[in-house]
Amino acid sequence: MPTIITNQLHRGGPARVKGRLIVLLLLLFWQLPQAWGVDASTEMPSMEPGQVQRGSLLLHLASGGVALDAPMLKTDVKMDISGMLARVSVLQRFKNIGSEWAEGVYVFPLPEDAAVDRMRLRIGERIIEGEIKEKAEARRTYEKAKREGKKASLLRQERPNIFTTAVANIGPGEEVVVEIEYQQNLHYDQERFSIRFPLVVAPRYIPGTPLARDEIKGFQASGWAKDTTQVPDASKITPPVIDPSHGKINQVSIEIRLDAGFPLVQLESSYHQMDSSRDEQGVHHLSLRNGQIPADRDFELTWLPAANTAPQAAMFKQRWEGSDYALMMVMPPAKAHADVGRTAREVVFVIDTSGSMHGESIDQARAALLLALQRLRPEDRFNVIQFNSNTSALFSGAVQATPNNIHQAMNYVAGLHADGGTEMLSALRLALRERGAEGMLRQVIFLTDGSVGNEEELFNTIQQQLGDNRLFTVGIGSAPNSFFMSRAAQFGRGTFTYIGKVGEVKQKMLELFSKLESPMLTDISIQLADGGKADIRPGRIPDLYLGEPLLVTMRAEQAVARMEISGVLDGKPWSRNIDMQGGADSPGVHLLWARRAIADLMDETARGKPEREVRPAILNLALEHKLVTKYTSLVAVDKTPARPLDKGLQKKNIPTNLPHGWSASKVFGSLPQSATPAPLHLLLGVLGLLAGWLVRRVEWLLSLWPRRATGS
Amino acid sequence: MDRHVNRKPIVALVSATCLLFGAWQLGQGAWLEAKARLAQLLLQQAWSQTLDGSRQVRPWPGADTWPLARMQVKRLGVDQIVLADASGRSMAFGPGHVVGTGELGGGGNSAISGHRDTHFRFLQQLQTGDQLQLTLRDGVMHGYQITGASIHHKDETWLLGETKNEQLTLITCYPFNAIVPGGPMRYVVQARAVVF
Repeated sequence: MPTIITNQLHRGGPARVKGRLIVLLLLLFWQLPQAWGVDASTEMPSMEPGQVQRGSLLLHLASGGVALDAPMLKTDVKMDISGMLARVSVLQRFKNIGSEWAEGVYVFPLPEDAAVDRMRLRIGERIIEGEIKEKAEARRTYEKAKREGKKASLLRQERPNIFTTAVANIGPGEEVVVEIEYQQNLHYDQERFSIRFPLVVAPRYIPGTPLARDEIKGFQASGWAKDTTQVPDASKITPPVIDPSHGKINQVSIEIRLDAGFPLVQLESSYHQMDSSRDEQGVHHLSLRNGQIPADRDFELTWLPAANTAPQAAMFKQRWEGSDYALMMVMPPAKAHADVGRTAREVVFVIDTSGSMHGESIDQARAALLLALQRLRPEDRFNVIQFNSNTSALFSGAVQATPNNIHQAMNYVAGLHADGGTEMLSALRLALRERGAEGMLRQVIFLTDGSVGNEEELFNTIQQQLGDNRLFTVGIGSAPNSFFMSRAAQFGRGTFTYIGKVGEVKQKMLELFSKLESPMLTDISIQLADGGKADIRPGRIPDLYLGEPLLVTMRAEQAVARMEISGVLDGKPWSRNIDMQGGADSPGVHLLWARRAIADLMDETARGKPEREVRPAILNLALEHKLVTKYTSLVAVDKTPARPLDKGLQKKNIPTNLPHGWSASKVFGSLPQSATPAPLHLLLGVLGLLAGWLVRRVEWLLSLWPRRATGS
Repeated sequence: MDRHVNRKPIVALVSATCLLFGAWQLGQGAWLEAKARLAQLLLQQAWSQTLDGSRQVRPWPGADTWPLARMQVKRLGVDQIVLADASGRSMAFGPGHVVGTGELGGGGNSAISGHRDTHFRFLQQLQTGDQLQLTLRDGVMHGYQITGASIHHKDETWLLGETKNEQLTLITCYPFNAIVPGGPMRYVVQARAVVF
């Protein structure tokens, strides 16, 4: 309609123009109230898709679509920590709130080094023990039970830190419980012990182009992402995410029994409030202050031994099925050459500025990066690379750390904001492409939440292109991808750090700087004395940075009496004899060895070995030690059918929370923006013409004024 | 007297600037409107070629989008060509299929977005029960019936998610008469597949 009027403008004479202008203005201003207010006449009652029955629970999903009557999930976590080991039980309660029989599917995280060896299905008072089976066979067993109306549960691994529980035939209003257990060793670094428990699988960025038209899939393909060329199992690692406006779901309770073995000066839950008490045996008992928390960020507990009581070496042993297993921890000398002169370094900072980093995460990353820039010395060289959908570098190559360059970098970093995709591959390639100057240590510091689905491809790139570089990962945000952080650092011959809140930035970064600037223990090897034989894992012992212990597991037919650890510490040979007598008898040591051996084999695939060559060895180990792996699952089936076969079964995916501090629209986008600036142009146009006309009018009025003045 | 003489050219200049600015802005607005109309003419042409069997017909040299379907609402005399994506660049020429939602006529939830002040202005006149036709590139016609309309915030991406039954989700900015583009609200019309 406005177009027609503008056309007439050109045809009409000046007088007509004025008249039309006024009409047009009136028209526009008549429309304005409508434009700014909400016009009730166009609003129809809000409608929900599909046929929603009365009394059912409908949740909107930020990841698209709705969840109707999804089973309610409650998780109870119990940790039993003793010495260097932890046994953790995770109780998942699936409550069917709908009026139909349901199958619940829940995609959830566990620590990337968890040795999952037990799953039990609890129906009321009855307990059905899960069996370890080859993955496809376990699935067939589960599907058969599901068809026959029997209660069944299946636990499978999608990534070392992503698992799926499926529970079939939950009756209307009924609750079914799945209990999962795993063994884990603690993280020990800078004399501080810690244990992490991830609570939510953060939405992953899925690079690549979608695979040809979706095939009909039975069990899988429940995620919001489509399988792609680069992530062929994307639909299995992307559980639906609830719209944040509904509030938080999936409540978790955590109880911990901590038998540290030494007096503590500090015991701290990093992100959640806890109450703790100590009994006569010196064992700490902890529970959440508010009873429960929503599953939306990692849980972490850290404790610090009292001065001079920090263990320098420890050994845990187990005799299991005719073999001796041991877990051994040795602390290398911390301050041997602390006064050594600092060598010049070339440091490349790579910062993830994708949409998942929006909010608190990018604040943490920026703060960490600014701190690191201040730490550079004039003899160092550096560069800053950022990546989201594209990669860009501040300087075309590394530059000298002059005050001017650092100032420029700090301005650049302060101006970073997060939006777009996570195309990590090109950033890694750019960072690793260059080689450091002669005699210079080249370190790549990678700040990211690791929310990508193509980990394997990235490890492969790091492994192939590393050269003499060292890669250090800094996991940012409330729910970082721990599998990516730890493995990328391992392939990068560096180390990893986590920053989960702004308040942690300074301490965590200072620890990282001390590692970057101190000599390290390299070329570590272990020799067994007296012709002893053992299978030692990890097979390639990683370099150790300041404050990191040597941690190895071994299996031997005959108990090993003595061994020697040797390596190179700051260019000088270093060795230490270890007496293997004694050590605490602990259950679960064989699991840690097997888990580590399986990780070694999986790493081989990133080094280029075809999967079919490592699969049989992993399958053997997994079946022997009853471990859930990429190729094995745990399955439990009830004997008697529960669901009458004339009743249908609805598959329901359990929605998850958006991680704490994340922005849904930065990850999942928003509805398309769909208005042109045409009305604005037309309004400004009319105002412009009107102003031009008025100026002339005023001039005419003013021209009358002086005449009158002279006349009087 | 001096003042009187000196003021004239300044006034003339200010006035001319305002008039020029106004004319330029009106031209811009008219151009957007004209582009939207002209493009649909060219698209109708490309569409007839598409139906001939040549897929992905670029409607004009250098175009980075192509016709996907023809959308008609007989009651309102609407006849438009739907483009392959809903980027700002494509939507200047016609409504676009929102990439990532179900394929048009593919059995799931397909979303189409258009500008509220050009192609999708008609959305405010749609009523529950209205019939909408979508002709795909293979010449097959799919029928839809409007089930309702509602107003949402732009963050409500659940609207784009998959559904069990085939449906069409039409999205445009809201309110329809707002002067400044970029507001947070969206007008969403949903239609279910029917046979007629």
